[in-house]
Amino acid sequence: MSPDESGTPVAADLPPLLGCESCGLVSEDVLGADIERAAASPRRRVQKCSRCGHVLHARKPMSVQRTWACVVAAAVLYVPANVLPIMTTVQALQHEDHTLIGGILELWGEGSWGLSIIVFIASIAVPVLKIGVLGLLAWTSRHRPAWRRLERAKLYRLIEAVGHWSMLDVYVVVLLAATIRFGPLAGVQAGPALLAFAAVVVLTMLATYAFDPKLIWDDPHARRTA
Amino acid sequence: MSRERDSLVVCGQCGKAHRWRPLAPTSVARCTRCEAILGRGHRGTIQSLLSLTITATVIFLIALASDVLTLDMRGVARSTTLPGAISAMWEEGQQAIAVLTAITALIAPALFLGLRLYVLVPLAAGRLPRGFAACVRLLHLAGRWNMVEVFTIGALLSLVRLSSLADAVPGPGLFGLGAVMILFAGIESAGLKHLWWQVR
Repeated sequence: MSPDESGTPVAADLPPLLGCESCGLVSEDVLGADIERAAASPRRRVQKCSRCGHVLHARKPMSVQRTWACVVAAAVLYVPANVLPIMTTVQALQHEDHTLIGGILELWGEGSWGLSIIVFIASIAVPVLKIGVLGLLAWTSRHRPAWRRLERAKLYRLIEAVGHWSMLDVYVVVLLAATIRFGPLAGVQAGPALLAFAAVVVLTMLATYAFDPKLIWDDPHARRTA
Repeated sequence: MSRERDSLVVCGQCGKAHRWRPLAPTSVARCTRCEAILGRGHRGTIQSLLSLTITATVIFLIALASDVLTLDMRGVARSTTLPGAISAMWEEGQQAIAVLTAITALIAPALFLGLRLYVLVPLAAGRLPRGFAACVRLLHLAGRWNMVEVFTIGALLSLVRLSSLADAVPGPGLFGLGAVMILFAGIESAGLKHLWWQVR
């Protein structure tokens, strides 16, 4: 996958440039690319795109702090999401609690291996991957800035692309609860884990958008000595 | 509808600046440092994007009004639509889940289509719509939180799980959502920044 020759890099003697996230227009960074200071003070002066008025950042403000806050909250909520029942089924007056993993094992036991693998990927693998990768990215951006940059950039793009698929199980419970409504004969109720799990999905998405992938390419140590 | 030769492009993922060279229709330009996609070749016209958006809007409205799933249990049938599932969650006391489902499967896709229509109709006629910059910013946000494709796969999964209980039948809403899912992918592949190339 070599880069296409049509995107030729510009010479390094240009001033620091900022691309607008909304319209793509490139402007000169008039506030200066002082990353240390920008990260330290969120209330610095802002520069706006001259074409569409969107705020331009050299780096997202407080990126690493906001990422950690969301990742830690998601990791904590991931425990009740797995331990508590995600739904309760009523069948002929008998109540039965189902957990997230229990549902996957049930599908596996019924012989729906393909389905159980899909649910496992969406509900277990993707959230764990997101929490792990975001923690790794936030930690390495401060402590191991030069370590495997290209691989880290690709990991970020991966979790950005697959992030919202973990909502799958939330929608399944919503649809089951809305369809199976036969009074005391048969019914499905959402359990407390559903809210915790939905919060994990939203928090990991917020963490993904809080993290600035440009931090992967910065070198804080070199900048400090310069 | 193409980016000007030699105009500057900054990689959204790593911040490296590049000079743009016009691309062949199917080729993709990648960042020379982080290999993220910088831009694609010619992606069709505003008119073709508008026609895709109109198609998706019509199908999405039909899908909202029709049953996604129908469950038949010993002669008693229960069916649900997308808005119906949201209101059932609300009535059950799971308001937070109802709001989250409404935002991601109803409001975000509605904004995704509605704002595109609002912007594309005047652009196709050669005029600039009012509040264009704010619309494009909102469209970025709507694209981020739109999960109608996840909901569609979730409905398929529910169908399989329900069929072990009783007679479960997919409704026209499910087929509609499937079509919307494919159209959304086509609309989204054009990106949003190119809308600004219409404005000179």
